[in-house]
Amino acid sequence: MKTSDILVDLFLALGVAVQLISCVGVVAFPDVFDRLHYAGTATTVSPLLIGAAVLTRYTTSTGGISTIVVMALLVVLGPALAIATARAARRIDFGQVEATDAERSG
Amino acid sequence: MNAFLIAATALLTMLVLPGFVVLRARPIDALVALEVCGTTVVLVLLCLAAGFHQSVYFNVPVVAALSVWTGSLIFVRFVGRFR
Repeated sequence: MKTSDILVDLFLALGVAVQLISCVGVVAFPDVFDRLHYAGTATTVSPLLIGAAVLTRYTTSTGGISTIVVMALLVVLGPALAIATARAARRIDFGQVEATDAERSG
Repeated sequence: MNAFLIAATALLTMLVLPGFVVLRARPIDALVALEVCGTTVVLVLLCLAAGFHQSVYFNVPVVAALSVWTGSLIFVRFVGRFR
């Protein structure tokens, strides 16, 4: 077994494990903001790990470049989506995005 | 069956967990779970493309990543507005 094969297996196992933890977290926590934390992990950490596994196998081919594009899209655009979702959740739960008077007073 | 196909199968099985939240929770919670489903599907497509050794298959996760992000943003916009 080559070193690259071991690296692929390691990155894939870690990526799948992180995705599993994120999915379990989304189910287990009742609050939308807690769920968003786990969704954020699912959109940033696991794409990097699984993308690293694919890049280990397909370094400079078309597949490798497409993988880099997918990783960049997920990692860059994912947090923007999380922020938009959090703002919508604040608007639904509290009626406003900004901090409420009770939150400001402590 | 190589490691990429095994990972794709495992990731596909995981869709049950956020899928349960999509069906049972409030719309805003379901939207968060839907975002996780979308990311998982993109990763499944990436693993399948790598597992089948077809370079043309790698275009599918690129389009899926863009579509999932755009679709989720539209859902967020309307869920936040019409509560």
